[in-house]
Amino acid sequence: MTLPSPAPAGTPPAASPPPAGLAPVDTHCPYCALQCGMTLVPDAAGLFSVAARDFPTNRGGLCRKGWTAAALLRSPERLTAPLVRDRKGGAFREASWDEALDLVASRLSGARARHGADAVGVFGGGGLTNEKAYLLGKFARVALGTANIDYNGRYCMSSAAAAGGRAYGLDRGLPFPIADIAGAEAVLIAGSNPAETMPPLMQYFDEQRARGGRLIVVDPRRSATARLATQHLQATPGSDGALATGLLHVAIRDRLIDADFIAERTTGFEAVRRIAAQHWPDRVERITGVPERQIVEAAHMLGEAATAMVLTGRGPEQQSQGVDNVSAFINLALALGKAGRPFCGWGTLTGQGNGQGGREHGQKADQLPGYRKIADPAHRAAVAEVWGVDPASLPGPGLSANELLDATAPGGAVKALMILASNVVVSAPAAGRVKANLAGLEFLVVSDIFLSETAALADVVLPTAQWAEEDGTMTNLEGRVIRRRRAVPPPDGVRTDAAVIAALAARLGSASSFAEGAEPGFDELRRASRGGIADYSGISYARIEAEDGVFWPCPAPEHPGTPRLFLDGFATPDGRARFHAVEHRPSGEEPDRDFPYWLTTGRVLAQYQSGTQTRRVPELAAAEPGAYVEMHPQTARGLGLAEGDLARLTTRRGTIAVKARLTPTIRLDTLFVPFHWGDGQSANILTNAALDPTSRMPEFKVCAVRVEREAA
Amino acid sequence: MTKRKLVVVGNGMAGARAVENVLARGGGELFDIVMFGDEPYGNYNRIMLSGILEGSKTLDDILINTPAWYAETGVTLHSGDRVVEIDRAAKAVRSRRGVVENYDVLLIATGSKAFVPPFAGAFTADGALKTGVFAYRTLDDCTGIADYAKGARKAVTIGGGLLGLEAARALGGLGCESHVVHLAGHLLELQLDATGGGMLRRTIEGFGLHVHTGKATTAVLGEDRVAGLAFKDGTTIDCDLVVVAAGVRPNSEIGLRAGLTVERAIVVNDHMQSIDDRSVYAVGECAQHRGKVYGLVAPLWDQAKVFAEHVTGRDAQAAYHGSKLATKLKVMGVELASMGITEPYDEHDEVIQFAEPKRGTYKKLIVRDGRLVGGILMGEISKAAYLMQAFDRDSPLPEERLALLFDLGAPPVAVTLEEMPAEMQVCNCNGVTKGAIGACVAAGNRDLGSVMAATRASMGCGSCKSQVAALTDYFVEQVSEAVPDRAVVAEDASRLDGHVQARILDDGTFSMMPDTEDGHCTPAQLLRIAEVAVKYKVPSVKLMGHDRIDLVGLPKDDLARIWNELYLTAAE
Repeated sequence: MTLPSPAPAGTPPAASPPPAGLAPVDTHCPYCALQCGMTLVPDAAGLFSVAARDFPTNRGGLCRKGWTAAALLRSPERLTAPLVRDRKGGAFREASWDEALDLVASRLSGARARHGADAVGVFGGGGLTNEKAYLLGKFARVALGTANIDYNGRYCMSSAAAAGGRAYGLDRGLPFPIADIAGAEAVLIAGSNPAETMPPLMQYFDEQRARGGRLIVVDPRRSATARLATQHLQATPGSDGALATGLLHVAIRDRLIDADFIAERTTGFEAVRRIAAQHWPDRVERITGVPERQIVEAAHMLGEAATAMVLTGRGPEQQSQGVDNVSAFINLALALGKAGRPFCGWGTLTGQGNGQGGREHGQKADQLPGYRKIADPAHRAAVAEVWGVDPASLPGPGLSANELLDATAPGGAVKALMILASNVVVSAPAAGRVKANLAGLEFLVVSDIFLSETAALADVVLPTAQWAEEDGTMTNLEGRVIRRRRAVPPPDGVRTDAAVIAALAARLGSASSFAEGAEPGFDELRRASRGGIADYSGISYARIEAEDGVFWPCPAPEHPGTPRLFLDGFATPDGRARFHAVEHRPSGEEPDRDFPYWLTTGRVLAQYQSGTQTRRVPELAAAEPGAYVEMHPQTARGLGLAEGDLARLTTRRGTIAVKARLTPTIRLDTLFVPFHWGDGQSANILTNAALDPTSRMPEFKVCAVRVEREAA
Repeated sequence: MTKRKLVVVGNGMAGARAVENVLARGGGELFDIVMFGDEPYGNYNRIMLSGILEGSKTLDDILINTPAWYAETGVTLHSGDRVVEIDRAAKAVRSRRGVVENYDVLLIATGSKAFVPPFAGAFTADGALKTGVFAYRTLDDCTGIADYAKGARKAVTIGGGLLGLEAARALGGLGCESHVVHLAGHLLELQLDATGGGMLRRTIEGFGLHVHTGKATTAVLGEDRVAGLAFKDGTTIDCDLVVVAAGVRPNSEIGLRAGLTVERAIVVNDHMQSIDDRSVYAVGECAQHRGKVYGLVAPLWDQAKVFAEHVTGRDAQAAYHGSKLATKLKVMGVELASMGITEPYDEHDEVIQFAEPKRGTYKKLIVRDGRLVGGILMGEISKAAYLMQAFDRDSPLPEERLALLFDLGAPPVAVTLEEMPAEMQVCNCNGVTKGAIGACVAAGNRDLGSVMAATRASMGCGSCKSQVAALTDYFVEQVSEAVPDRAVVAEDASRLDGHVQARILDDGTFSMMPDTEDGHCTPAQLLRIAEVAVKYKVPSVKLMGHDRIDLVGLPKDDLARIWNELYLTAAE
């Protein structure tokens, strides 16, 4: 019996069997922190297509990036042989792996011999699996002996991590599973646009609103997410902390706060109350541009709800006051008694696929596996024992991501740099300077799947396996550790990062060995994390498969994992959450006569991060072919710009020319440029590298810009 | 390193804020800090005093720095004590109670006091205000007025400025017949032009407040207690409570006695230092900077910040350049915003104006070189948030001046499915257009589930699902309508409610979906459907999304019989 209907969602049309060795494989999307479940299905020709999977994160949904992810596996631009340059400025030529690895090892050890171990830097990526992040951290500390390793997750979630850590004693993106969102009576999203950046997440917000829940969105743009909100607070870029404190002022004034919760489960409220007392709505309106009436209404929506969540995104976080902004939102959640309770809490909607795991296991300059502190003698000893090295041989804290890149400037401390899975020439602030610095290094080696803008500057490029070509684990935004599975072997000539790290470590005479296989690597990571804050020791590949992922901390094989944190107490020594008295301060740069508009940056649905992958997927490239500037039609009119005209944007860092896209949904004083493109289209040529003093997060979200019509 | 000593005269909004800013900049390590406060409380938020007067707030509600704060931060506070002398040669201050404190750095933040013009009969012989006459400045003033108002019938507020109107409103709320007498020709003359002031007057009179403009008070009548007021025009008004809100005067005598340059207030440079003595600073309403004395909170706090940056050495170049004045207030439910100038300076200033007196709406903007230099918004002030920022930041204004006064958001245009252009994206997550859904239906997909599976529409965030469903139905209908000759009508509808409903398929056969009431049917009905399907040799039974069962591949001739059999059963 043949049904006259297409196959149900998620299963490809029946066809002749795939080539031997290929079978459908359940894995996860290669992109964002939601890590949607998907099945990679091979056809007779060995080409894969994507089918959605009913995993607890995406429940059968996928966005355009996920559906088209398999195109990465057959991209004609794939690197399949190491590339080397015989001299600076010379052309690339293909080389054998032995030649390339020998060259890398000798150049890195040469730099170390001439300038000291810290002259060799390592820059990792938030897309690396836990196993690779772990190996890379170990490689830097043991094989290279350098303190200077950091990763692009610093550009993503470091402000939230610092604020969450200091308030709760533990930093996990969300302290609850995303499914809990549907059960919150009120949710405030500050500076995140999940309807575009992680669309399948929206089903939980839809469910939340369908149950009568309220959604408040803070964004200078009426984004796709803001359009769904009960209330949209269209705040001035850089004013998030003042807005949060203004909401707290109203909550205190109108007696919406939870005095019992504050007394029993927190410390430090009085200092915060004193600051909130000085944020009356008129004043906050003038700072934020959010009308007083809306401030009052939003405070009541949150305060009068029985359960509420406050979620921050890159908007408030990617600022030179990013940590304080997040603290201000945490203060609000705590004062309302909306934390450490079911369907309540502050969390961050993180961006990168494994930004969470990447920082837990040793890619961050100040951390060792298991979220241990590299400066803490006990923590150093625990990890050194697993690695079989003398604790004294481990370097101390190194430079944070942006400082590490700054140190590549002529005369800087870093002379040779190894970059894995990161396209910093597109993704770092003040990108023009970054590019010049990298080009001038003594030695640059980049490992990537494509010749990214950054790889193009390298002396050696190592072609590496990609997501569906190797096994490993990722930790998604909920703290759920999941399995990424190999569907197909890498193309001939391509090696995995783990194999490259092991081969380089051997050439560098490393005192500790490096696991090449994913599961042995994970088992070592488990041991190294045992007893740490991010304890993975009870998690195994088998458990992840059997349980649809396991939430950390999970300190023993019989431990169920921890989907919901803090219900019994916060992870501070006294079990109480801490308020932090923070006060709004001006952004690193504010508009003036010469640069009269705010510039903010962000993402679009059809592209991901620096675009290294998504710009090479034809359907996505066709959907969003290049950068543009979004501006209000009234603003454009004054500048003589019409839809599609080329606009020249200038900041104190540089100039780009991009097409104008006009929409009345953005503030009159604000321009928006998505940052997925390189070269003359790079938003980060414009952005300001002012750093948060605590997280060292650059100020991607706020700077001052001038706009002119580009002569045709 | 031994600490230096910072003595702060004044514990109000400027002085306490300055100390907070000093502490936030590590000043606790640099200085021992001593403060004197005239009032016997911690520092409270003066702009919320009307709440005390109305009785809606208590001291606790408006306190910023509680007494405990001073102890915790190590700041010595002499509260309820006033500095009466500064000895600059000895670098010491002496209080009324005889406390002497030496200083290395002195900050004068004595603020201002209510100005009570010398009306005849306003004061008693010992210089106190006559019983029933109050200033409106301090917490004690407010509690005093509120107490006295309990026994009062008719209250007059002298002064129709910000504070006067606030007091008059509160007195009305306390049950008094409330009058305002104002010297100038219109209310709020610093914030409004004559048109705005006139409109405000009419509006608040509508709420029962009595307003007398252009009236100069000359005397307070009554022997032991107030009984009325007399005016220059010879008229009088009887009343039993008078609140004087006729402006403030800087408390700068102490600077004068110490030999500092005092004009309208203590003259300071851009670092907020006295121009005579580098170790003496002044901030707030007692300070005069570039000829100006500020009375609003925002400038005070800007000054306090500059002081803290400078005195702690955080930024030795920290400089105050003056502040732009803007304010918002609510008078008897009328919302007002005012910024900068109220009248154009010359003919080059562009004035944009809108008035709708009936509704009490008035908007006036003054634009110079494409920048906002003045504005009044009354009644409907939804644009205030944007305009105040544009004024503060000197930002370029949009050319469309109308957009400055109103939100011009075009009303959402309802587009019917038919009007929707084919290239319009319906599903943003997966980039599916209306046209793609049409093509998908034309290719044989006839229900939402199969359209979703084939196009991925609504398989991302899912928010477009209802629209995808509507479009699917729309195209399915179109496909059916496109072949009217093959549409099927009941041949025997006599016992049926309505017509036989079936759809034609690409191969010329038909499909029929028995009604199962959202997926619910009795076992007997389900059995009946199966029996009918077997009896008529239905080639395929498809379980659909939307809780339906579809009998697929029916020949046209059997349709009516199948329909009857299904629905006769259902009716039984």
